[in-house]
Amino acid sequence: MPDDRENQPSGRDPHAPETGGGKETTFAGDPRDLHRRLDEVEGLLRESRARLVQAGKMAELGNLVAGIAHEMNTPLASISSNTDTIALAVQKMRGLIASEYADEASHARRRFEDALSIAEESLRTSRLACDRILRLVNGLRGFARHDELLRQKANLHEGIESTLRLIAHELKGRIQVVREYGDLPEIECFPDQLNQVFMNILVNAAQAIEGPGEIRIRTWRDRDTVRISISDNGGGIPADLVPKVFDSGFTTKKAGEGTGLGLSISSKIVQAHGGRIELESGAGRGATFTIVLPVRTTEERKTNEH
Amino acid sequence: MNTDTPRPALLLLDDEEMVLTSLRNLFRLQTEYEVIVHSSAQQALENARARPVDLVISDYLMPEMDGITFLGHFKEIQPQTIRVLLTGYADKENAIRAINQVGLYQYIEKPWDNAALLIVVKNGLEKRQLLRTLEEKISELAKVNTNLKGLQTALIKAFL
Repeated sequence: MPDDRENQPSGRDPHAPETGGGKETTFAGDPRDLHRRLDEVEGLLRESRARLVQAGKMAELGNLVAGIAHEMNTPLASISSNTDTIALAVQKMRGLIASEYADEASHARRRFEDALSIAEESLRTSRLACDRILRLVNGLRGFARHDELLRQKANLHEGIESTLRLIAHELKGRIQVVREYGDLPEIECFPDQLNQVFMNILVNAAQAIEGPGEIRIRTWRDRDTVRISISDNGGGIPADLVPKVFDSGFTTKKAGEGTGLGLSISSKIVQAHGGRIELESGAGRGATFTIVLPVRTTEERKTNEH
Repeated sequence: MNTDTPRPALLLLDDEEMVLTSLRNLFRLQTEYEVIVHSSAQQALENARARPVDLVISDYLMPEMDGITFLGHFKEIQPQTIRVLLTGYADKENAIRAINQVGLYQYIEKPWDNAALLIVVKNGLEKRQLLRTLEEKISELAKVNTNLKGLQTALIKAFL
């Protein structure tokens, strides 16, 4: 930008007074003005080109993620089913051993039962691990698709509540959830995807809080938008990192704990709904994410206006 | 006739061996069903001519043909068999289409829940059994009806 401005006086200005007179008015006044506007337009173009490149990258990433989720689904289905089948088989073995060795104190029976207990505990862990991957894959696979079948009018409070139930184990009595629900109209949306957004922000909020803390959820209507703000009183995000949190791959978590995709996916989902996510934070100040969604979709507006 | 062989037969088709193993072991542990597995749609169709089954579960996305096409062909060979489609998340719309197209009894989404899958199969087999009993009763009725008609003719002849 600065070097463009440097060219301006030497390139144009000396001629400007010479052309002078009445004709000049067709150019909306001062050529310097004209040049400034040109610069503005150029800036806008550059910006929108960057946005397009970013959108293209996001679309590519979306396809990649959905593809991986799809490929993982079948082996995951098999593991999940096997885990339950093995648990049932172990249960049957317990019964068989009990009837085979009637004496509860018998050495053989105790050794069998010890081995079965180990199998049972491992299977419980596998079940939990499997459920976690299932949830993740479930969240990822809907990401690139906007399945029109899934579009419906939904009550956002219900979505928030069901998400809170899902992550109850992350809150574990450690974090108090304060609800300040306003009067929200039902909005036309992809409820599963918005739930994923609530989930990402709420889980981040819970993880940002060390020890006991509070998550505050406020909802209200502001003219043609509904707003859902989720605040935590955790460590906050340093000011210089605030603009980066929606970038894909950005994470403050340790390797293996976060993918750095949660908020970028969330932001993309909300944008696809015609909305945006705002973030207010600073080191030591906690964080407030505000999801802004239009009350009416573009299509609804079109049909209502004509 | 068939009621003397109470052990129901299932056919499972999936191009992924791991899915076949998972399902077969589940049925072996929890049921008395006879389970036939195939990883090739073509082969499953060839065998279908020789071996009638009560219920068939087919995967949707397979290299030779999709599950709906397979179930359509299978229906031509064994029209009475209960048809179930196993689908990934992205194929849900196709599954809904198949309900009418090939007379699908149910579709099950991957990843499936073992208990829910067992219930679908159990209910499907029950429907199959009821339909078979109904067929038998109808054919018995037809037989009795023919006998009665014969008797009636004989009676009319005797009295005239």
